Amino acid sequence: MKRRGKLFTLLLVAVVLVSLLAGCGQQKEQEAKTGEIKIGVAAPLTGASAQDGESIRKGVELAVEQINAKGGINGKLVKLEVADDKTDPKEAAIVANKLAQDKSILAIVGHFNSSATLAGAPIYNKEKVVHISPGSSSPAVTDAGPYTFRVITTDAFQGEYVAEWAVKDEGFKRIAIIYENTDYGKGLSDVFSASVKKLGAEVVANESYILGETKDFSTVLTKIKNAKPDLLFIGGLYNEAALIAKQAKRLGLNLPMMGVDALYSDALISLGGQDVEGLLLPGFFHYSSTNPVAQEFIKAYREKYNSDPGTYAAYAYDAANIIFEAIQKAGEDRQKIADYITNLKDFQGATGINTFDENGDVLKEPLRLIIKNGKFEIYSE
Amino acid sequence: MFTQQIINGLTMGSIYALIALGYTMVYGILRIVNFAHGDIFMMGTFFGLLLTQKFRFPFPLALILAAIFTALLGMLVERVAYRALRLSDRLVLLISALGVSIFLSNFAQLVWGTETHPFPSGLSVKSFQVGTVTLSNIQVYILILSCLLMIALHVFVHKTKMGVAMRATSHSINNARLMGINTDSIISMTFAVGSILAAVAGILVGIYYDAVYPTMGYTAGLKAFTAAVLGGIGNIPGAMLGGVVLGVVESLGAAYISSGYRDAFAFGIMIIVLIFRPSGLLGKKQQEKV
Repeated sequence: MKRRGKLFTLLLVAVVLVSLLAGCGQQKEQEAKTGEIKIGVAAPLTGASAQDGESIRKGVELAVEQINAKGGINGKLVKLEVADDKTDPKEAAIVANKLAQDKSILAIVGHFNSSATLAGAPIYNKEKVVHISPGSSSPAVTDAGPYTFRVITTDAFQGEYVAEWAVKDEGFKRIAIIYENTDYGKGLSDVFSASVKKLGAEVVANESYILGETKDFSTVLTKIKNAKPDLLFIGGLYNEAALIAKQAKRLGLNLPMMGVDALYSDALISLGGQDVEGLLLPGFFHYSSTNPVAQEFIKAYREKYNSDPGTYAAYAYDAANIIFEAIQKAGEDRQKIADYITNLKDFQGATGINTFDENGDVLKEPLRLIIKNGKFEIYSE
Repeated sequence: MFTQQIINGLTMGSIYALIALGYTMVYGILRIVNFAHGDIFMMGTFFGLLLTQKFRFPFPLALILAAIFTALLGMLVERVAYRALRLSDRLVLLISALGVSIFLSNFAQLVWGTETHPFPSGLSVKSFQVGTVTLSNIQVYILILSCLLMIALHVFVHKTKMGVAMRATSHSINNARLMGINTDSIISMTFAVGSILAAVAGILVGIYYDAVYPTMGYTAGLKAFTAAVLGGIGNIPGAMLGGVVLGVVESLGAAYISSGYRDAFAFGIMIIVLIFRPSGLLGKKQQEKV
């Protein structure tokens, strides 16, 4: 009797346990079906880079809308958690903490400014969550950690590329540099001037300005004019580049100008007008590119927002889509997503074909562009 | 290069001076720093942009109308954010000022977006060469217009009845009231005059750079405030001198030492002046009233 009683109890316990486990499983499955996938966006929605932050938000929102229209990822709808880093590295750290510690967020698109990415990266890496920057091109981001990725090429890459283009292909000899005094501008100017010197040209002036504070470039430009350069290289963003071009013409400084793809925005032309004609720059995203993803993206963006997408909208769109693919293929797990993206090869995006190197830096070949008749055109010499 | 840099500095300096006058006049009367002044400057610029671009007013008319609207805005700010608090602690007024500043810059971002707008003034930009110096017509307009405005302000403050009342109020609000001066309307008028100067400065800056954006009030306001303190806050010729000195020092420092430290020169000169003359270049020594 005693024995049978024991057996009975054991059986009962087993039954209860099994049913409990089964119940758990069922509940989990149900949650998975009705749940959602949360992605973070950390961008400068206010402050000096607000214009680009807005562009990034729109690019990601478009990607989300498209994937949700197709039924989401594994039957779950994607939901965004948008945070504003205010173009401020201090604020970026706060935002990073908020997003990284929310375990329901699987990955993050952000940050934009290199300084902000560098402030956020240690936090994301500590929490082991992937973040893909759509705009931080500073070489310092390369060593930021295994969970830090970017879909924009480094300034080191672009600086070298433009230096070769300027010195080898265009034959410029006396080069003046004007750069914004941030991680981005400084990194770009360092790489560019080193490559230019290596190729045998001379850097006759190297001047900086403070982003968002200096709008008066007459002092710097007067100094540059005195150095008699044959090329002006702008290591900055489009708002400032337009102002530099305008003020240069006003001071009677008529120089060919080159920049990097950060200048690629319609705002450069609408602000710079006649004065930015002829400016040369590399770009990854162009309206007349034959890339089908880019064409589709441009069409969808125009339909949704009734305006043309800027470069950063395209980068952000690609970053979001890479994350979506990783979740789809690898599963809803922060670590698995990181492993997937680390090994990602030849992802066809709106900004070209994305392959990541071991540092999380993207490798892709740029297009050569020129501003002609108030438009960015593909440059051919 | 030296003369060119002096001209560059004078252009910037006269803009700083125009904005600094608004800070200094309000401080002179109410003893508060109107931190919303930079944003009033920004709003003035946007009014100008709106009038020239949307309503296609000819430039001089747009300038005048924008100045009037900005004056009304300045008076409104005073009425809403400062008048009720006039008798409270200075700190309360300061916080109210910061609140107005944040409100205005966010308001502008909401209405006009965060992007930088070009300023199509209809004035064609021409550069001409005088010796080794290149001058643009807009630089000349800035220099002439700001000189005229400063002279007009001087005449207004010293030769008109309103100006006398303003100076009396600045001396002591209570005594002025005892003399039958309507101090409320004088204070309102002070805000209006400061805002007019700010609007003109803003529109000039807008055409000069061909760029208008919602956060433009912050740096301009900070520099102008520095100029006001440099010249001796509360002192009208001081603000003019402070603005010009600041512009020239900044320009020369950036030209001959390093352009990266441009703002460091601006604030460095202020610190040095304050060490040797705590009440600014032209400020009078004053006993702090408790």
